[in-house]
Amino acid sequence: MGLLTDPTAGQGRFVKLLLKYCDKICALMYIVGILWFCSLAYPAMNANTYFSENALLPGLVKTQFREDKLALTYHEELLDEMKKYDDSIPYPWLLAKFRQIGLDVFVHNFTLNSPLNKKERYTGQNVYGILRAPRAASVESLVLSVPYRPPTSVHQTTSPSIAVMLAFAKFAAKEKYWAKDIIFLITEHEQLGIQAWLEAYHGVTCGNDDALDHGDLRGRGGAIQAAINLELHSEKIGQLDVKIEGLNGQLPNLDLFNLVSKMCSREGLYQTFKNRGLHYYRNEFKEWWRYFRNTLAMMATQASGIPNGNHGLFHRFGIQALTLEGFEQTKAAKSSMKVGMLSLGRIIESIFRSLNNLLERFHQSFFFYLLPASDRYISIGLYMPAVSLIAGALFIKAFAKWLKLQGDSDSLDNKSASFGQEVEPIKIIVTFISIHLFSIGLLYMPQLVSEACETYDCPVNRTIFYALLTTVTIAILIPFLIFGFFDKSIEILNVFAMLELGTALICISMTNFSLGMFCAVLSVPFTLWVGRTNSRIASVLQTLFLLLIHPITVLAAVVLVNTYLMFPKDPQKEILMTAWDATQQAVIYSIADSMIYGNWLFTVVTVVFHSNWLCYWIVVMSKVRKNGGKGKSKKEKKE
Amino acid sequence: MVLASFLFLFCIVPAITYKKEEFTEELLIKPLYAEQLYAHFQFTTKWHTDIKKDTFSHSRLFPRALGEILKEYSLLELHISLTSGLWRYEQWGYPVYDAAPGAEVWAWFQDGTESLDEKWKLLSNRLSGLFCASINFVDRSNSISPEFSFRPRGVVENVTINNSYVRYASLPRELVCTENLTPWKKLLPCDTRHGLASLLNSEYIHNTRYHSLGIHFRQTCSDSTCTIPALELQQTISLVYDYKILGTKDWSFRKLFGQGFYQKCALADRSDIFVDTISASSKYFELEQLPDEVITSFRGGYTSTFAKYTLKDNYLSLSTKKGNTEIVPLQIPPYIHANQYLIGYGQEKGGIVTKIYNNFWKHLDVILLQNIPWYVPIYLHTLKIVANGRDIQPFALRYIPGKQREKPYYLEVLLRLPPQSTTTISVDFDYIFLKWQEYPPDANHGFYIGSAIISAYLPLARNFTGLPQDGGTIRDSFNASRNGYLVQVRTESLVITLPTPDFSMPYNVICLACTVVALAFGPLHNITTRKLVLKPMKKLGLLDRLKKLLHKEKAEAKEK
Repeated sequence: MGLLTDPTAGQGRFVKLLLKYCDKICALMYIVGILWFCSLAYPAMNANTYFSENALLPGLVKTQFREDKLALTYHEELLDEMKKYDDSIPYPWLLAKFRQIGLDVFVHNFTLNSPLNKKERYTGQNVYGILRAPRAASVESLVLSVPYRPPTSVHQTTSPSIAVMLAFAKFAAKEKYWAKDIIFLITEHEQLGIQAWLEAYHGVTCGNDDALDHGDLRGRGGAIQAAINLELHSEKIGQLDVKIEGLNGQLPNLDLFNLVSKMCSREGLYQTFKNRGLHYYRNEFKEWWRYFRNTLAMMATQASGIPNGNHGLFHRFGIQALTLEGFEQTKAAKSSMKVGMLSLGRIIESIFRSLNNLLERFHQSFFFYLLPASDRYISIGLYMPAVSLIAGALFIKAFAKWLKLQGDSDSLDNKSASFGQEVEPIKIIVTFISIHLFSIGLLYMPQLVSEACETYDCPVNRTIFYALLTTVTIAILIPFLIFGFFDKSIEILNVFAMLELGTALICISMTNFSLGMFCAVLSVPFTLWVGRTNSRIASVLQTLFLLLIHPITVLAAVVLVNTYLMFPKDPQKEILMTAWDATQQAVIYSIADSMIYGNWLFTVVTVVFHSNWLCYWIVVMSKVRKNGGKGKSKKEKKE
Repeated sequence: MVLASFLFLFCIVPAITYKKEEFTEELLIKPLYAEQLYAHFQFTTKWHTDIKKDTFSHSRLFPRALGEILKEYSLLELHISLTSGLWRYEQWGYPVYDAAPGAEVWAWFQDGTESLDEKWKLLSNRLSGLFCASINFVDRSNSISPEFSFRPRGVVENVTINNSYVRYASLPRELVCTENLTPWKKLLPCDTRHGLASLLNSEYIHNTRYHSLGIHFRQTCSDSTCTIPALELQQTISLVYDYKILGTKDWSFRKLFGQGFYQKCALADRSDIFVDTISASSKYFELEQLPDEVITSFRGGYTSTFAKYTLKDNYLSLSTKKGNTEIVPLQIPPYIHANQYLIGYGQEKGGIVTKIYNNFWKHLDVILLQNIPWYVPIYLHTLKIVANGRDIQPFALRYIPGKQREKPYYLEVLLRLPPQSTTTISVDFDYIFLKWQEYPPDANHGFYIGSAIISAYLPLARNFTGLPQDGGTIRDSFNASRNGYLVQVRTESLVITLPTPDFSMPYNVICLACTVVALAFGPLHNITTRKLVLKPMKKLGLLDRLKKLLHKEKAEAKEK
């Protein structure tokens, strides 16, 4: 096999075949990629989950938690106490309880200077107690966290989880087998609180420097090995949903998920993933369809890069974490048995005792996976080929285009000079780089606009959104301003754009597969099609399709569909209005997320996808212009 | 007559020449502010002999196994501690002897000792055998010679102290268990059958929040003028019981040690139990047995009262019953306590932060000592000392950069802490790769960084239980007001996860690399080495043609 031989030397059968069947090969790769992906949900293609880390010894001990009565008392007291605090955390009560239990108690204060509006400041308070392990010197620790939600919160209450946490703390404080400190953490302001606490624990700032002032912690417990976040909405739980998707699509180690699943089933609790429990069908298609929908549901959450619980912010710090959300009764769990505080406490106990057994931090099992059900997984080795095939089509197409150009220049060597068909590399590179610089400018625009807003006193969020929209529209007009591009240079720009997109898609899907996959499925067919065409209809269609996959259009469409699914009964006009508002919100939130949490969705979309889109746009628009004027005659002559 | 003189020689002469030895055993029980009870055993052997002259081959009480080691490696002082758990200074105050989690050894060699590093290595191996601990991992690559933090605890001849004769090392990962306790107990004159040592049942002492075995050997004086030298060996065990784990606040010997006390050690000159009854939280309990004596001690501005029980040859088990539970003790943190933690995430850069709290109303001078292993390369230029938000300059700074696989990073900082302040000392480091054989079998557990040591002379003796420098027993610490009270606060040890390869990876890489090389090598070799040369056709002779034909036929036959 001649790996290192000169590719141009042959120009043989392989190249000719490639040039001849390029479109068909690309189409085939795309379709096979999608089929591959769909088939992943088929039981034969994925596997049963299993424990890779033997040190966990899951479920080996007999649970001893018996403090359920106490948990109920705590809950009653807490509900009384919560009435006194409208929108803040009843920290004196919590401190007193932790102290009575015998934990080291600390309060953590943090401040958020709203990154888009400097005048807005929010303060918050986290309360945490550390159970010092008698068997170790505070070298490692585990976290049990609960987001505190005041009665005025829009989210469902989490007070039962605080009660069960306290009861578990009380139980754990008198046991002598703990080898890792247990940190009981109650955070305020949902994800902000946990982010501030984690930043303070690790002494770092993840977002913009001036956005979140994380304060300082007085007590620490060494390296955190794992975290469990509790969101129980009721004293009696009929369904326990496990949430795993974290910031930027990071996932916890699969062993932790398996551990939780196993412990729930041990206590006879109806455990679900994405609100779907285990269900076995005789019919293979039905089974596939269930798995497939579940996988898609997980991917939809993962693709957004927004954590769906407080656990999601731990992942960045190398801490394996997930959220247990308990519902009293849901559609999915109508017939299931309800369990009380006793079982919940025992589930927590057995999870923590398993984690206590860990000798090494989680490193076995999978960090990259998809879950079609809570007892099955799809490993990275199986799902990567799907996205690689789809993105690979781009590379093949780019290669074919390149070869074609080479061939053209060979055959047209003598004529090209007279037609001005020379490649202008500097022009291409300048265009390519300036497009990217423009997108980087777009990335920093919200900050500039918000600063400008301060001086001129205008509504920040709206201004930022419209400023972004205007800039993007201006960008769409750019091709009309650039003149003097010739056919061949444009083709090379097209090749560049394809290579960039292909690389970006593969890189993104390595870290956040769902985002990469969705983007690939959406963008690849259109971008493959963009290129040399003589038909006017085709070029108009290209323009239209390209506009369809513009990031803003995609976002608006996703939001619209979501709005429709959420409020199907509203009149259409209202849905449109809500969707438009929601789109604005989505853009603003993604900007704020990138500034506070270091979420890179906004960055990736502006710098990679938007600039890449602009490259294609220039390619398409220059075509249109050429077809109308002199270009046509040139092309005719050429042919 | 001859017989009598022989008798005299064999009986009386040894008795006269025999150096005097004293053995004291003491137990101090002190309720801590929080929900804990502190029990400290102190066994002190004093031997009136000269360390330089004595051969350590005859002793009555002094453990010979240890004595031989001391002689062989010309030691002046030896301090070993084996600890499990962490002493929580903020809640518990100060222990009698500070000890870092894991194993800690420091020793002073006699002046003029040669090939110190080698002796230190041999010593650690001997100690490892003596205590069944992994002290043998102590060598040059993790030992330092601190300039300020460790001074001789006993008497020295020279006024000037040369710190090149001190060695300090700690092994934070060492796990302490019964296998260490048994050899430790064997060094006691009465072993474990009699005396206070009979209370040390491994089943019970490992149910504690903190336990620490200690051996402290030093040179002292026989008399008050200090003209005759003596040796002193202190064997200590510190235990911290948790009322929660005990299940009750009414402690008794049965609950703490599993049994009472039956028989005193006949070799002991004194066997006493002291129970601290004045600390605020002691009001939780009342002793059920009447003490033999009540001692009031005034020390460093603080008064405490101890109930003293002298051990006799009859059964004794102290027990308490609930006292006035309405009194809630106010927890006053000690003047100096400290924490250590890591900052940063990922496996590229990080930082070690030591936070020292000064709760005293005046400034305090402290020494911070850090012994950072070679696999954590720190950068001195990133050293930042911030007290209450303001940068402060250290008085003195000693730093010896480490060398990979050869010596650790040694950092010693002299600081003046402002009154009522929190001072953070931070230094950045890089994560490095180790050689693949240097990873332990449980590579993903992480690598340890030992505790930092913060030494300070406290002006007042609040929460202080340590012994004075001139005393070797707990009794000596009563009414022992001095100019200052030395504390050496140990912080938490840290665990960091160095970049750890997936150990199945080398196999995969080898497979992949071999495949690539195999595929690429052929063509590459072909292109670079093949030389096309025109070869003139040679006319074949008849013989050659015949040969060719034959070969062809042969080959065909073979194929068939």
